[in-house]
Amino acid sequence: MPTQSNQPLPDGYKLLDYRIDSVLSCGGFSIVYLAYDVNDQPVAIKEYLPSHLVLRREGDVLPSIADDHVATFRYGLKCFFEEGRSLARLSHPNVVRVLNFFRANETVYLVMRYERGRTLQEHIQLRRGAISENFIRHVFAQLLNGLREVHTNRLLHLDIKPANIYVRNDGTPLLIDFGGARQTLAAEGDGPGKKMLKPMYTPGFAPPEQYRDRQRLGPWSDIYAVGATIHACLAGMAPQPADKRMQDDKYQPATRLWAGKYSRQLLETIDWCLELNHLQRPQSVFGLQKVLLRQREPMVRSPAGLLGAMQSRLLRFAGALGASSKA
Amino acid sequence: MKFSIFQESRLGARKINQDRVGYCYSRDALLMVVADGMGGHLNGELAAQIALQYLTELFRGEARMRLGDPARFLHHGLNDAHEAILDCVRTRNLPEAPRTTCVACVVQDGVATWAHVGDSRLYHVRDGKILSQTRDHSKVQWLVDTGQLREEAASRHPERNKVLNCLGGSRPPQVDLSHRNRLADGDALVLCTDGLWGALTPGMLASVLSRKTLRKRLPTLLDLAQARAGRGCDNLSVVAMSWTEPGATLVDTSTRTLELDEFAHESSAAARMRPKDRDASGDAGAPADTATHPIDRERAGAEANPGYLSDEEIERAIEEIRSAIRRRTPPGAR
Ligand SMILES: Nc1ncnc2c1ncn2[C@@H]1O[C@H](COP(=O)(O)OP(=O)(O)OP(=O)(O)O)[C@@H](O)[C@H]1O
Ligand SMILES: [Mg+2]
Repeated sequence: MPTQSNQPLPDGYKLLDYRIDSVLSCGGFSIVYLAYDVNDQPVAIKEYLPSHLVLRREGDVLPSIADDHVATFRYGLKCFFEEGRSLARLSHPNVVRVLNFFRANETVYLVMRYERGRTLQEHIQLRRGAISENFIRHVFAQLLNGLREVHTNRLLHLDIKPANIYVRNDGTPLLIDFGGARQTLAAEGDGPGKKMLKPMYTPGFAPPEQYRDRQRLGPWSDIYAVGATIHACLAGMAPQPADKRMQDDKYQPATRLWAGKYSRQLLETIDWCLELNHLQRPQSVFGLQKVLLRQREPMVRSPAGLLGAMQSRLLRFAGALGASSKA
Repeated sequence: MKFSIFQESRLGARKINQDRVGYCYSRDALLMVVADGMGGHLNGELAAQIALQYLTELFRGEARMRLGDPARFLHHGLNDAHEAILDCVRTRNLPEAPRTTCVACVVQDGVATWAHVGDSRLYHVRDGKILSQTRDHSKVQWLVDTGQLREEAASRHPERNKVLNCLGGSRPPQVDLSHRNRLADGDALVLCTDGLWGALTPGMLASVLSRKTLRKRLPTLLDLAQARAGRGCDNLSVVAMSWTEPGATLVDTSTRTLELDEFAHESSAAARMRPKDRDASGDAGAPADTATHPIDRERAGAEANPGYLSDEEIERAIEEIRSAIRRRTPPGAR
């Protein structure tokens, strides 16, 4: 991984009304801290600090920005604002809650409610991919409530992946890291956005239209990433990246890989979300949720011919609804 | 082949970083290299750079998918890297040959083979215990081996930095080659310079290197080493991997999707640690596993940049977000 050479703020540092406790994570664009507010309540603070543009040296608080990076740094602020704006509009138990937003130390900070738990990525690593169907259904049925709220607000997340799904200790999930909003900005017009912003995508989780055809982005794009994320829960790794799939698709249907280990209905849902053609995926979160929320009923065989036949995907999906697992 | 890999090189309290680290893998073989350019000598970092580059290029040339014989590759590779340093001295007319330590490891067929010269080390860790490690080619190690120095006193010995075997020296290197070491699921291989191991006890090193924690804990381990070394902190560098048995599902890096003669690699570019050059190395090719890849890190100057935000615009954007938050949060709620 590229070396992170930006120094975090020191533990104990007073930032506005907050006291920095420790670093939670160091990413390429930001550092996330655990801090405490005036009431001694824990918060998570995200500091905009793109490591390829600015450098904060040991012992310094202010980052230094090379002259030729000042403009890019400032432009990148827009993306960070976009993340703040998206989150400020959203108020949902399955979406991380933003509490404050301010400027200090020549950069900006996003304060979030601190959540106890761990990312889905860590869950996958701990269980080495062998995540149970019950856990998956439980987590995703709720997470999709959050995603629905995002889409209802005419926003797309565009960076759904195990590392950006946080599971509280009580088992309820939430979406974090709306940094993917960078993309919506980049897609707007060709002016500076084209030049300045790095359209971000995560190989394996990003759908084909995120690589090109960005005007085709829609709820189905987040749905592809949801499919890839569930896939990762089973496989322990992301599926083949969409750009590679477009050239030479090595994707093996989940229905084949895990037959008998997970319900057919769940496996078909994964394959459905991971259709390369965006029109062939579930078009809204609602449809997807219906399947996941459905009780795992006693086995009802779907008509044999139905699945194999060249039916529309919707029909195929309806078939899947009828099918169920051997619990 | 499935593994998870981590590398980092830090300046410590020094002005320049003479350590070089890197790894490179094809579908069936992985190479990891750590070299510590020697301080007292001119351009130590040049020697380390040549060693790293030479080995990774040789690897790319030889390992279309796999190496014929990893031990042979390492033996020849290190000897030839020494020659490559001497060649450079000749072509550039340098007054003195730059020198470096080097430890390199190949993993192929679930077997690790390594070789070293000098005092950069490799640890093979299993279940939080050091299973085996390289033996330094250093003055203090020699004193310990010949019973003239107690092991515990080695870390305080005034000549503890003295290396008896290196690449670029006046005598050809004595390449110390390991046996074949079969890896078990969860094993870690840690290659590091003395800046790291010298500041830590073996227990500290081993205890944190279980698979689940490798990536998370290594930065902490580096922090710890830096804190313990304080003002005298040397450059400290590490490449570490943890192994996942075929069949086990956890992976950070799977080479399965690599094409037959495709390579992935990452190395600490010369300037990685020098702030002024950071941009050049800013995107030294994240390994195949890391998450978010900026598609294009082209830098653009201010003139190409009509989207420049003024202070006023920044303030306005922030105020807008703050008021959205206030509107949304019911009074009294946190
Ligand atoms: N509200 C929160 N409560 C607890 N931990 C959090 C919270 N927000 C973030 N974290 C921790 O910080 C990590 C990184 O957060 P996030 O994904 O938002 O940033 P990032 O991926 O570094 O962002 P970027 O893509 O901009 O570099 C998370 O994986 C999580 O461990
Ligand atoms: Mg993230």
